Amino acid sequence: MYIRLLAKQMRHTDLNDARSAGILLCFIVSILLSGCASRPALLESTYQTLPSHVELNDVPFHPQVKYQCGPATLAMVLNHQGVDASVERLIPQVFIPGRDGSVQPEMLATARRYERIAFPIRGTLDSLLTHLAGDDPVVVMQNLSLPAWPMWHYAVAIGYDLPNETLILRSGEIERHMLSFSRFDATWARTERWGFVIAPPGEVPAGISPKRAMDAISAYEALHGANAALPSWKALTQRQPNNAMGFFALSNAYYALNQVDDARETLIQATNIDPELGVAWLNLGLLYLAQERLAKAEQTINKAAQLPGPWQERAASLLKTL
Amino acid sequence: MATTLRRYISVLLIALLALGSFPVAAAQTTGLVSTQAALEADSASEERERIHDILARADVQEQLLAQGVNPEEVKARVAALSDSEAKQMAQQLEAMPAGAGVIAALFAVFVILLVTDILGLTDVYPFTR
Repeated sequence: MYIRLLAKQMRHTDLNDARSAGILLCFIVSILLSGCASRPALLESTYQTLPSHVELNDVPFHPQVKYQCGPATLAMVLNHQGVDASVERLIPQVFIPGRDGSVQPEMLATARRYERIAFPIRGTLDSLLTHLAGDDPVVVMQNLSLPAWPMWHYAVAIGYDLPNETLILRSGEIERHMLSFSRFDATWARTERWGFVIAPPGEVPAGISPKRAMDAISAYEALHGANAALPSWKALTQRQPNNAMGFFALSNAYYALNQVDDARETLIQATNIDPELGVAWLNLGLLYLAQERLAKAEQTINKAAQLPGPWQERAASLLKTL
Repeated sequence: MATTLRRYISVLLIALLALGSFPVAAAQTTGLVSTQAALEADSASEERERIHDILARADVQEQLLAQGVNPEEVKARVAALSDSEAKQMAQQLEAMPAGAGVIAALFAVFVILLVTDILGLTDVYPFTR
């Protein structure tokens, strides 16, 4: 489609344009030849632990219409999870007519509207392949062109072939787009290797960074409430038992649901995992305070007031009022 | 007109906040630190923060409308954004990459991209393979 567009423009070009193109071409070629696309290095563990060939054939294909790769990719991953979402319905939900495209925050937010949590993945080819091996298709953002003339594009990675070093994508109008790892990685690197997987509440995919998992579930909680997010916070504390902030968040969800004892016990777990987590001590102290267990409260808030960090000041001033 | 509208909305929102009629998590009664606040490591006044968040959302809504998003859809779209996503979009929607998958290039660029495609650096023209 865009080829036709180019052909039309080519007819309008004059000799001058052709000459400058020639000069530019020589220039670019000389630069590029010195650094051809190289094979992205995969970790040894990736070769050892992942199956050599994966293809998620049950991911449906929705060809992109016009500029609408955002709605199309979202429909593919949502449908794959059994969510009833059509491209036609997704277009007014995620497409921005003035930009002729869809932006990253809205891609994540739209999954949320369909009661799925979108988790941005770690930006490495190893982690992309690991998610595919774990049965999760990955929405990836690429710049198919060069940074100077960007061609931003969303596609769904559905498989790979390790010996042949190829990635398989549902991309644009192509149902099975095969790309070498090196070419894919060159286009993916231009978006800082951005991509995400979606999961229903109560599931946290393996390999998501603690911070990103927290942000994703917290955003889901802000939209759908503590009750809807509680299973995901529980899943997070199981998936990442050393992530004290996960316990902190779980405790807040319990508290919002009036499960005060669970909230307190979970906060104690958070402080056991990370005794330096001032904000957990502070909340624990506030809980004791609400329960009028003053001695406990003072002791705990005192702890928070001694730990440097953004909450130290608040803890210190609270201590003075006791 | 947009500025007037925004000012009007801000005043209204601030009044609403002051009245405390906003749906605030139960945590507010004991003053527990919310998860979102803790994630942003944000000890600034939560009230002030909330006003910023709401203004950012009003801003995003205006920008989306200006970019041709259907007025009937825009509210739900903004509501689905997290605070940090709303802030990010309020600040840089114009500059944000928007996945579209189509390019309108000049002849010179066409030639360059053809070469980079053949070199395996880009993936603009699938017919190069």
